[in-house]
Amino acid sequence: MTTPAQERFQSLMEDHKKILYKVCRSYCRNPGDRDDLAQEIIVQLWRSFAAFDERVRFSTWMYRIALNVAISFYRRESVRTRHVVPGSEHLLEAIDETENRSEEVQLLYQWIEELDPFNKALVILYLDGNNYQETAAILGISETNVATKISRLKETLRKKQEVQQYGTR
Amino acid sequence: MELDELKEKWVEHDRKLDQSIRLNLQLLRETYTRRAKFALWRLAAMLAAGSIFMLVVIVSLGRFIALNWSTPRFTLPAIVLDLAAIAALAALTAQIGLALTIDYNQPVALIQKRLETLRKFRIRYTQAIILTMTLTWAPIFIVVMKGSLGLDVYRLFGIPWIVINVAFGLAVLAVGIWAFQKYGGRVNQRFLRDIAGYNLNAASRFLTTLAEFEKDYSPQERSSIREYSPEE
Repeated sequence: MTTPAQERFQSLMEDHKKILYKVCRSYCRNPGDRDDLAQEIIVQLWRSFAAFDERVRFSTWMYRIALNVAISFYRRESVRTRHVVPGSEHLLEAIDETENRSEEVQLLYQWIEELDPFNKALVILYLDGNNYQETAAILGISETNVATKISRLKETLRKKQEVQQYGTR
Repeated sequence: MELDELKEKWVEHDRKLDQSIRLNLQLLRETYTRRAKFALWRLAAMLAAGSIFMLVVIVSLGRFIALNWSTPRFTLPAIVLDLAAIAALAALTAQIGLALTIDYNQPVALIQKRLETLRKFRIRYTQAIILTMTLTWAPIFIVVMKGSLGLDVYRLFGIPWIVINVAFGLAVLAVGIWAFQKYGGRVNQRFLRDIAGYNLNAASRFLTTLAEFEKDYSPQERSSIREYSPEE
């Protein structure tokens, strides 16, 4: 039997499943790990759901928790115990995942993979259209710091592309 | 291609995701009901098992001290062990208390700093336990033999034997640290990497990365960065 809180949680998860997908995709290369991370994020979201303050945007709240769990997951130094049996059902199922992704987006994901866990979070928030104020509130750094870092990341990407172009000439 | 141009591609990708990803609702329900409960149970079980074990050790040692109060050669090693057990219980309780109070709905930099500090605390705790066990195995042997079998190790083996064992314990510790530092990097087991100090170094590096990320740039630094990106 589903309680009203569970129904609301499920509906919010359905509406924001893309955040879950993008965070998991950016922090885990391996699809098995991705599903495991998605489940850990869901567990933490549900555990914190009772304390969710309606005055805050759900996406802001979800980003904070999802990114915190993802960075901790990424940091775990031990060999992980898989909760997902290969071939079993997955929490997030992407249909024609690669076909639906352009070459540029593939490259973007590759570049994100190379970043440290904090800059990964920053880039995801930037690409998802969060403004500096929201990004600063999620990450816990100042707005000017967000602006400076984004500027620096743009420059890093530009240089990387220059190197790639020069290398292929 | 500029990051802003890629952002447009990302928005397109985001739109496509609406159609291409599906959330398995049944698995979602199972995850947040069953696994959330399991995670809490696991933490509670760890707290209970660790604390009960330490409490049993502390109480048993207290009883041993009371029974052998008139013979300092037995009470002194027991007092040393009891103090170590009390310190271990306090550290264990502090770790679990910290872990339980971490609220993931806090800014990323704040939570990651707390989590990494907790990780460093846990690694130091593991190292301290191993060090204490190695250095105090002679007192443990004296107390266990007397407490469980009523045997006096001092009389059975003599003081030189105890001194040799303490020296042997120190030698094992030194060789162990050397071996862990030389070969520990090749192993994946968290416990071994904790003892060897690899995970402690990794935690320190992570905190340095975080500090760098949190660092507010000076106006000069900011302007030099902006020179590269005139559209900012």
